[in-house]
Amino acid sequence: MDVFLRRMLLSALLCAAGAAGEVTYQDLLDDPEVAADWLNYHGGYAGHRHSLLDEVNRSNVKSLRLQWAFQERIAEKFEVTPLVHDGIMYITVPPGDVYALDAETGARLWRYSRRMPAKLIACCGLVNRGLAILGDRLFMATLDAYTIALDRKTGRLLWETELIDYSLGYSGTHAPLVVKDMVMVGTAGGEYGIRGFIDAFDVETGERRWRFYTVPGPGEFGNDTWSGDSWKTGGASVWITPSYDPELNLVYWGVGNPGPDWNGDVRLGDNLFSDSVVALDADTGKRKWHFQFTPHDVHDWDATQVMVLIDREYRGVERKLLVTANRNGFIYMLDRETGEFLKATQFVKQTWAVGISEEGRPIRRPGMEPSAEGIEVFPAVAGGTNWMSPAYSPDTGLLYVSCREGSSMYYKGETEYRPGTRYWGSMFVNETTMDKWYGAVRAFHPITAEKVWEHKLFQPVWAGLLSTAGGLVFAGGTGGFFKALDSESGEELWRINLGASILASPMTFEVNGRQLVAVASGGGMFVFTLP
Amino acid sequence: MRLLTYIALLAVIPALLTAARTHETNPMSSQEDFEEGRRLYRINCGVCHGMEGKTGRGARLARRTYRHGNSDAALFDLIEAGVPGTDMPGLWLDEDDIWRILLFVRTFAEKASEVCNASGDVAAGKRVFDSQGSCLACHTVGPRGGRLGPDMSFAGVQYTDQQLRDALLEPSREVTDRYETVRLVTAEGERVEGVVMNENSYNIFVMDRSENIRSFRKAELQSLDLPEESLMPAYGDLLSKADLDNLIAYLCSLQGRDEEVAQ
Ligand code: HEC
Ligand code: HEC
Repeated sequence: MDVFLRRMLLSALLCAAGAAGEVTYQDLLDDPEVAADWLNYHGGYAGHRHSLLDEVNRSNVKSLRLQWAFQERIAEKFEVTPLVHDGIMYITVPPGDVYALDAETGARLWRYSRRMPAKLIACCGLVNRGLAILGDRLFMATLDAYTIALDRKTGRLLWETELIDYSLGYSGTHAPLVVKDMVMVGTAGGEYGIRGFIDAFDVETGERRWRFYTVPGPGEFGNDTWSGDSWKTGGASVWITPSYDPELNLVYWGVGNPGPDWNGDVRLGDNLFSDSVVALDADTGKRKWHFQFTPHDVHDWDATQVMVLIDREYRGVERKLLVTANRNGFIYMLDRETGEFLKATQFVKQTWAVGISEEGRPIRRPGMEPSAEGIEVFPAVAGGTNWMSPAYSPDTGLLYVSCREGSSMYYKGETEYRPGTRYWGSMFVNETTMDKWYGAVRAFHPITAEKVWEHKLFQPVWAGLLSTAGGLVFAGGTGGFFKALDSESGEELWRINLGASILASPMTFEVNGRQLVAVASGGGMFVFTLP
Repeated sequence: MRLLTYIALLAVIPALLTAARTHETNPMSSQEDFEEGRRLYRINCGVCHGMEGKTGRGARLARRTYRHGNSDAALFDLIEAGVPGTDMPGLWLDEDDIWRILLFVRTFAEKASEVCNASGDVAAGKRVFDSQGSCLACHTVGPRGGRLGPDMSFAGVQYTDQQLRDALLEPSREVTDRYETVRLVTAEGERVEGVVMNENSYNIFVMDRSENIRSFRKAELQSLDLPEESLMPAYGDLLSKADLDNLIAYLCSLQGRDEEVAQ
């Protein structure tokens, strides 16, 4: 018995010492320099979606072939970007599952399946975009409006904290962000008259550290940009992973549309912080600055695009910049320390603004608001781009953007708030304008915003981009093509038809010395490598 | 938000599935209704949930609260419409028959609270679990413990006291698939022991004794042994009868939070 006990205690000690393979905060700071892994939705805090891996490159990408595929009966849109750590890939599968897969072969290691209420509320599909990781824990925001932590080795639920009652129209869809010992999640639901917010939780216990309301309450800065009680149902949802600057300790959140979407009469004013980027202090959740792209939006142009953080010279001075291609059709450049507006440049056809003022406010073209008879406006309701990731390559110095060209007919109508139901203020119609739509991958010089090249696509894009040190930009199409483009010229070097729309952003990683590239398409995850 | 034109369609589908339910609470109560409910359950549900709501490939129904809602109306709607995206199908029966099935399903919960019963000392049993028996090295309870064996946070809801006793005295009699034991020797001569996480023709995936998840190419191994025995030692000779009784009492006391009870 003594021998037995000693052995048991020894194994207990081993377990306690078994910290090997744990993801540290330093690892998250080092990502993407630790090129083998992919530890954050964007592949790094700066939102570049650029990998230093170069085994797959311009000269050999034409022989890229399928290494493995994962398939599930997924009726929903599969929008996940996987995380990879220690040879294991972690993905979410809609509506509420998490899988651990052997990253080299695709074999399943475990599955967590969340039991969810039968009636979930999500405007645009029961989707989930991925996970965050720290220590031995994975974090997920769920459609029933919880933040949960799972054991990364078994998938066991470690804690779950409710954000708010989901039946009021709230949900979680974006991959959370881990900063230090906190996990941060914002709430989706901008089409349901929610009052948006962002929460930070203790990674160990799930206790709430702070909350920031994206619609300020009475007495708070910005509440006077909402007429009457409209702030209570102002929307301003959050559904894309923010970027983070560790030096400034600021988290950059893109905030969604005001509600109701297409009828602004009930919410006169600028409607802060809808359609804005808010820079929050990571420790306190306090707002350092904000910038609103589309004040008093009536076209549903959420600012939930990726905030790309780059350090470059602007007008002779080295600056900490934030660059983002916005749904409203302009690429913006801000100083990310102060929020100062530096520049905006149109990147798709738009007909709603004459231009952008010195202060960064749009100069609106009269008569482009939704009306009872309907009005055609460029860009379409889904915007000039959307939540899919852009990419930034430090090698070429270019910003790559998935673009959507086209218009919608925007209508204005009645609006009535009822908890948990759509609060839209009318509608839009795409049928009459859709045949003129097209898509493109475009490369821009981020400082001059000059278009360097373009790769046209038959349909507007819902897939994000991945840039690699191999001189490549990976892109996906609504028609199912996954392709590799030359990052300098845009020339197509490789493509494969995956047979279903790509509605996610690709990523890359390394296992046992080999580079692999992964992208979700239809109900599958497809992983490619060289022979 | 991204708004595609098929949203309108999505909104219509749930409306089509929702049945004409005319009551908020179960109007059925007679013995005949109950027997008919049992019969219909056997035909329509038993294969996935088991006749006591505890086995099979469906969710565990022998519990006091349900993840999808607890009221009669919520359960009716769930049984009627199913759970989209899972194996739980919808059901084309008329309203009365669904209420009869629910009448039968409701009896599982009563049984659920009786399954684990033991007379030992819970506090003493916890000490055995945490230290003397080293159970904690391989099993979690709440946030603490090892990962080689299944979670015990809900042992009192998941097992009967007799099942627990059997598991402790003869762990190898029935080894859960997910925890198959493996012993292998790599090409380099390294000996690895652990539980199998997955296996196919070419690879085997193992959680080793130190809880590392490792992948091996089968063709490259010197030897691969999958003994039909549990990694868990048999405790009949290792613990006194009193320790065992206390341990079982402790395990029965682990009820977790109902809404978290895994299948
Ligand atoms: C083909 C397998 C299958 C059949 C047949 C089936 N179920 Fe299910 N059931 C499931 C699965 C799987 C789930 C879990 C769904 C989920 O993940 O949310 C479930 C969930 C449930 C739940 C919800 C449990 C909870 O915690 O919320 C209830 C209640 C239920 N089933 C009752 C029934 C009844 C009554 C019948 C017969 C009329 C039935 N099921 C038939 C597979 C099945
Ligand atoms: C060396 C690791 C190890 C130790 C120590 C250990 N177990 Fe286990 N236990 C396992 C594994 C692996 C399984 C799953 C395989 C099986 O069913 O036997 C298991 C299964 C069980 C089961 C049955 C679970 C089921 O679903 O069938 C129970 C109950 C249990 N253990 C309780 C205990 C208790 C109580 C102790 C301490 C007295 C203990 N275990 C010590 C590894 C361990």
